[in-house]
Amino acid sequence: MDLGVVAFWILSAIAVVSAFGVVFFKNIIYAVLSLISALIAISGLFFNLGAELVGALQILIYAVAIVVFYVLVISTVPEYKGEAVDPKYALLSAPFGFMLFMELAFVSVYGLWKSGTGIFTPQVVQEISNAKAVATMLFTKYLFPFEVASLILLVAMIGAIVLGKKDIVED
Amino acid sequence: MVPYEYYLVLSGLLMVLGFIGIIVRKNIIALLISTELMLNSVNIAFVAFDMKLHDVAGQVFVFFILTIAAAEAAIGLGLIMAIYRMKKDVDVTKIAELKG
Repeated sequence: MDLGVVAFWILSAIAVVSAFGVVFFKNIIYAVLSLISALIAISGLFFNLGAELVGALQILIYAVAIVVFYVLVISTVPEYKGEAVDPKYALLSAPFGFMLFMELAFVSVYGLWKSGTGIFTPQVVQEISNAKAVATMLFTKYLFPFEVASLILLVAMIGAIVLGKKDIVED
Repeated sequence: MVPYEYYLVLSGLLMVLGFIGIIVRKNIIALLISTELMLNSVNIAFVAFDMKLHDVAGQVFVFFILTIAAAEAAIGLGLIMAIYRMKKDVDVTKIAELKG
């Protein structure tokens, strides 16, 4: 049995079980820990697919930076006392979730799979490495969106500082 | 090598789980965490399609999604802090002034 197949089944099992934990754990700390587990499993799936740059960025940005945000806010907001899951909506969510899954499956099965195959065949990627291929596209064709992304991060940082100020309620 | 369709099934499963989380949870921080799960499922689909179609544009978009997720977490958690200071609560059923 191929090692990539084994890695896929183990990592996807971890990801799905952790996702169940994220959704159904009552304690929010456990939910965040499950989120970290799911993020690291998804990062492993990226490595398994051959996208090393994205997998590394996933660990660096998601599993470190964003989760630290959550832990900081959870440590500030006191423990949530009420029930975790709203029973009124728990039953309702099943048919809507099933409908969403069917829609995604329909689009995936009947979508235009072969529309526009790119130039980065496995031979090319083998030669120049995945990180170089992604970075080449990022800094040539997608240079303007890249700059706009930096602007969005700056605006978000200023917004977070303004929202987090202590005297925002009194103003 | 695993067929790429399996990755899409996994992506759909995680997307549905995040969606169910957004519907059923009452803690507003848990809603944001479920949103992160949905963003990650989209990332898996992007990378799987990329490897299938021999392109790297999807991975570039995963990079942008990571950026937007960081911005979203910062702004969303800042808003949660502001709401908590005003209402002393993080229960979504209690924050219902705009309910028509």
